[in-house]
Amino acid sequence: MSQTTAPAQPDVLAVAARRRMRFPAALRNPLAVTGTAIIVIWLLLALFAPMISPADPLAQDFDRLQPPSAAHLFGTDQLGRDVLSRVLDGARVSIILPLLLVVSSLFVGTIAGSIAGYFGKVADEVIMRIADLVFAFPTIILAMVIAASLGPSLTNAVIAMLIVSWPAYARVTRSLVVVASRSEYVVAGRLLGNSPFTSLGKDILPNIIAPVVVLATLDVGTAILLLAGLSFLGLGAVPPTPDWGAMVSDGVQNFSSWWISVFPGLAILTVVLAFNFLGDALRDGLDPRTADAVKGRAL
Amino acid sequence: MLSPLRRVVGIVGIAVVATLGITACSAGSSDSSSSGGKSVVVDSSFDLKTADPNREYETTGSIVAKALYETLLTFKGDDVTKPIDGLASYEMNADNTVMTLTMADGHVFSDGTPVTVDDAVFSLQRVQGIKGNPSFLLGGITVAKTSDTTLTLTSATPNPALPYILPNPALSVVNKKVVEANGGTATDADGAEAYLNGASAGSGPYMLESFDVASQVVFTKNPKYTGDAPAYDRVVLRNVQGPTQKLNIQAGESQVALDLNPDQVAEVGSSDVTVLSSPSRYMIFLLLNQDPSVSAITSNPDFLKAVKAGIDYNKIVDLAGDGSVQPGGFIPSLFVGAIDASDGNQHDAAAAKAALAKSGYKGEDVTLNFPNDITVQGLSLQSVAESVQAQLKEVGINIVLAPAPVATELDAYRGGKETVGLWYWGPDFPDPSNYLAFTPGELVGLRAGWAAGADSTVTDLATAAKAAVSTDERQSAYAALQKAQNASGPFVPLLQPAQNVVTSKSITAVSLNPVWTIDLAGIK
Repeated sequence: MSQTTAPAQPDVLAVAARRRMRFPAALRNPLAVTGTAIIVIWLLLALFAPMISPADPLAQDFDRLQPPSAAHLFGTDQLGRDVLSRVLDGARVSIILPLLLVVSSLFVGTIAGSIAGYFGKVADEVIMRIADLVFAFPTIILAMVIAASLGPSLTNAVIAMLIVSWPAYARVTRSLVVVASRSEYVVAGRLLGNSPFTSLGKDILPNIIAPVVVLATLDVGTAILLLAGLSFLGLGAVPPTPDWGAMVSDGVQNFSSWWISVFPGLAILTVVLAFNFLGDALRDGLDPRTADAVKGRAL
Repeated sequence: MLSPLRRVVGIVGIAVVATLGITACSAGSSDSSSSGGKSVVVDSSFDLKTADPNREYETTGSIVAKALYETLLTFKGDDVTKPIDGLASYEMNADNTVMTLTMADGHVFSDGTPVTVDDAVFSLQRVQGIKGNPSFLLGGITVAKTSDTTLTLTSATPNPALPYILPNPALSVVNKKVVEANGGTATDADGAEAYLNGASAGSGPYMLESFDVASQVVFTKNPKYTGDAPAYDRVVLRNVQGPTQKLNIQAGESQVALDLNPDQVAEVGSSDVTVLSSPSRYMIFLLLNQDPSVSAITSNPDFLKAVKAGIDYNKIVDLAGDGSVQPGGFIPSLFVGAIDASDGNQHDAAAAKAALAKSGYKGEDVTLNFPNDITVQGLSLQSVAESVQAQLKEVGINIVLAPAPVATELDAYRGGKETVGLWYWGPDFPDPSNYLAFTPGELVGLRAGWAAGADSTVTDLATAAKAAVSTDERQSAYAALQKAQNASGPFVPLLQPAQNVVTSKSITAVSLNPVWTIDLAGIK
């Protein structure tokens, strides 16, 4: 308890300066800045891909398997398509979909976890046992099985990934809700006549959301890898849709034409790394349980 | 504190040294054996299941059986249009129902005993009796010994394909006495497979030295072989995937590589190796379902015409690399009855657009199903599908690709549920009658929703082709059949991918054949 009330009394000028900057403390470290910058660049590239692509990502207009050159910075693939254009266009699938996926599993997982944690008893048992059931399988294998049985398509891949990824959020949320719901302010709110949902939404959620968001940020990298993995196995993006995972797979067929798979591979690497940097920094900054430890160590 | 660490370093060091030593030794031994000029290493991507010739029906299995055993009839080199004498000579009766085989003198098994008519009858009956993968080759045929030197193969219906079926290595002649002594019978109680996986009992140019279904098969020269002695005393057939085969042949680790795809072949370059590219026996085709309940669009004859004219066949051949060709019809260029690409479908964008306008097609999405996890001679069907999609888009047809693993997609294909399908056909035997499956009401015809009676012109031509007896008659009958199919049928033959064999400069000749891929004894 002493720790939460312990922050050193900053002098007035520093407080004022911090207010003016309005830049979250969590993001004020080199890795976070690098991560954020890379993510912003990729999101802009994804957004403006059709405008900046040198060629139509689907057009098979060029000579096959040309190495990188001035005309084709990233070379051309086995069907004579411009790899640079496909990497840029692929960002729209390979970054945006995992982001949507993480948001939806955050949503589903948080609701399920809150219900389990707040109401307990039967709801808790049923929801958490389902979560345990999912946890019992290796993630990628379960996602493959679901995607394969639904048939390859991006929608089905996202559904498969949603099914395997919500339990992590449910479990974290549940444990936080169980603790928070015993707090005096929550009990007081209930005694004042708040419904369970008001209580969850107004009293509990704001107090537990930070760790869950941190988890989500850290999860974006994993989700990008999972979608790329499914596409690599032919269970995600349907050709000819450009997708980084599927492009890496194309490169495996033409092993010595390294440029087909190296560039989408680098794209995956940079984005996943950037999200992990950001997630780490957010965790250090926002999660009260690690914040103090990190501050102590850093200073 | 340091001592455990030091110990670990020590152990790792010893392990590294030991590993290097072992690798050096093994590399050294293979070098020394090949430098004697008597040993050759062949790299192949295995689909091997057994060395029992009467059970195998795989590509690698045929290579193995061809090296160890002999067949009653055979082919010379890669010419599969004319069967020649093997262990026997043959005569067909006038209506192609009874084949009389007369055993040739002088052939002996590797144990020195002569090859007799009893061995031949036993072997063929064993193929039928064990009900394995190749048993269908002799379906409906009665094998009987008629004298000490002759046997007959009798079928109820005319079977002009029989001389083309008999050279299949699955119909190899095994040593009856040896196989029977090791549990062999001509029924499904046969138990000789385990023995035949450890030793060979044949009259072929080689004998089995060792057999590992997953890694390698080693052959040694059969001293009793009565034909031309093979140039190499020892052949090692190794299981190696395409990209590694390329590295091995460049490094001189192997002398023959069988599974390089066209792009890999192009990268190897011809400076240190010899490349032999020829059209393979596989035919990749598109099918458009003719069953209106499956698709009203693809069953429209004008739409069908638009697809046939809309595809740029040359582009697909380019994609597949040197050695690949466009087959004129559904019969690959290697076989009797094949027609030239110039007599086949031609790319004509204007005609395609005109036909499309006539068909009433309004830009609806048409699904193209294909297996995305198989390659044909190193070419992935997905590349072909993406190419077809882009070409048809240019004439205004919107194709949506629906890839699936072959294990799941096969059901839809076999059930005739695919709207448009992209598949390939590997012949069971090098005879055009194998391709009658592509006619109305037959195996592949039904998969395209082409019911019996749906196209009487094609059905009549198929009946005529089946009845044709002499080679010339068959050639013209099958040519007419394919032209009619090209005009109105649901199949669009796209491509015969290349078969590439890459050899080191020390090899002067290899003997390839569409039935058994490579004759190991023909490597010189």
